[in-house]
Amino acid sequence: MTFLFYLLAAVAILSALMVVFSRSPINSVIFLIICFLSIAGHYILLNAQFLAVVHIIVYTGAIMVLFLFVIMLLNLNTSNEPHKSQLTRITAVITGGLLLLVLIAATKDAVLIQAKNPADYNIGLVKQIGQTLFKQFLLPFEISSVLFISAMVGAVMLGKKDSKKN
Amino acid sequence: MRLEDFLLMRHELLLTLIAIIILIAEIFTDDFKKQGIRPLSIILMAIVTIVGFLPAPTGTLFGGMYQATDMRLMMKNILNIGALIVFIQSASWLKSDDNQNKVSEFFLLLISTLIGMNFMISSGDFLMFYLGLELATIPIAALAAYDRYSNKSSEAGIKLILISALSSGILLYGISMIYGTVGSVYFDKVSVAYGATPLQIMSFIFFFTGMAFKISIVPFHLWTADVYEGAPVNVTSYLSVVSKGAAVFIFSIMLVTVFQNIAAMWKDVMWITAAITMTLGNLFAMRQNNLKRFLAFSSISQAGFIMLGIIGGSELGMAAVVYYILVYIFSNLGAFGVIAAISNASGGKENMSDYDGLYKTNPALSLTLTLALFSLAGIPPVAGFFGKFFLFTAVAEKGYWWLLTIAVLNTIISLYYYLLPVKAMFINKAETSIAYFKSDGWTKVGLIICVAGMVIVGFASVIFEYIRTLSFGL
Repeated sequence: MTFLFYLLAAVAILSALMVVFSRSPINSVIFLIICFLSIAGHYILLNAQFLAVVHIIVYTGAIMVLFLFVIMLLNLNTSNEPHKSQLTRITAVITGGLLLLVLIAATKDAVLIQAKNPADYNIGLVKQIGQTLFKQFLLPFEISSVLFISAMVGAVMLGKKDSKKN
Repeated sequence: MRLEDFLLMRHELLLTLIAIIILIAEIFTDDFKKQGIRPLSIILMAIVTIVGFLPAPTGTLFGGMYQATDMRLMMKNILNIGALIVFIQSASWLKSDDNQNKVSEFFLLLISTLIGMNFMISSGDFLMFYLGLELATIPIAALAAYDRYSNKSSEAGIKLILISALSSGILLYGISMIYGTVGSVYFDKVSVAYGATPLQIMSFIFFFTGMAFKISIVPFHLWTADVYEGAPVNVTSYLSVVSKGAAVFIFSIMLVTVFQNIAAMWKDVMWITAAITMTLGNLFAMRQNNLKRFLAFSSISQAGFIMLGIIGGSELGMAAVVYYILVYIFSNLGAFGVIAAISNASGGKENMSDYDGLYKTNPALSLTLTLALFSLAGIPPVAGFFGKFFLFTAVAEKGYWWLLTIAVLNTIISLYYYLLPVKAMFINKAETSIAYFKSDGWTKVGLIICVAGMVIVGFASVIFEYIRTLSFGL
């Protein structure tokens, strides 16, 4: 178990770094998929099967394919990648570094918290999630359906053909 | 769950019902009959607004996930009024050729954001709060891009969706840390267990930043002017009044309940951001020529003033915040209503210089805009004065004298720029000012409601006293 965890963690971190450092956007997306897969592996280690499956289907499957499509349609490659000026880079490094500093300063005094239910391994199973979703969290579940309807209506509105201006 | 329990959720259920009715009406009408959707939506919304005011039980549902108290119901009613006025003001704009084929979408999206806001205000845990917030912002982004063929409108839509995604991400990060340290997402449990450990302070900073984006408090305000300028006027007015009002309501509720243990800390944060927000909002507003940008920066500085009441934190402070939002709805929608009417009649004239000599040609509209601007500035006979007065009292009561001084100085600065459009309309001479036009019935009704609101809410002290009896404090 521990060995698997370290292996997956190493793969996740390395592929995440490669997402940032690889030159071609296609390679970035492929590495992102590897990163997501290894995170899904972590979920399985935690016995959260449902989360792992959803993670693979939604992120690795749907969203990443969408990414690839967009990149192919836009025809992005290294040659037409916009070049940032030196000033922008320095500003980005300084602001990012400041945020990192704040995060480290805030967490360096933090204490580890004990897990609430360390013995409950069944919490991530599909059955448990279904029970929670339809009992305790019924209302948020229903509201999210309103959210989806409104998102669909918005998308249809933006894509609707005008009757006069074609 | 008993049947009577549904009465507690009547705002949300009724709004969902009218959303479904509009959806069905859209499906089963042909192009000719679609014109009927405008009056139908407005009438349904008016009914919901009135029904909201009827006395009804209060209580909690779903194990504390949904809370209906008198104060929260009052907040929902205020938002309903704002939405109703926006509906009425949009009626004539929706009649134009470009918008005819997407009328029902406009109403549907606005209603779904309103459902989200109502759930957000009634939320008793972070999950409901977050879902409500998303439901309240995502459809608005589609509406900001309503005018699809205009580049500025599309730009506004993209900017709004990106900024709301970014701020939601930051907010969620904070919420996940709160959940991690406390072990619960319910407000009542979090408020007890919340301390000032480093991780919890950090989670509060993320939470505050996320909300600051939504209310457009100064270091996080940069999206406001572009989005307000690009979006259609009626969407801008909704965004600046109803959306902002809802976010302020839930933010003030959460600060005084969930984060009560670290009140001393968030008051310091709010003190500084309120002072910067008021000052910078005012300074930028002075330089604007486009009236929508002008009102965008004015709304930023108004957010700074509203924060005064939250900093006061007392029962009076909370009542002042709610009362001020009520006044702000009437005043800002009055101003936006006039701008929308003129923009529609003159083919998109929105600059201050276009308003030169408007009083000669359109006296009624000029007087309405003047009254609305006076109310925003806080000049005595109109309601804005009382709103600002109560906010200042709330801060003075707690002894924040420096903040009060900054606020009063900012009120004086704001007087200058609020009077600029008034000067343009009444004093400046123009060779070709906007010609006289007759606004249609809906526009008139909308503006009359705004003017009546500005006058009545100011003079009828019962309203403030009533809000105060519902109020809560630290």
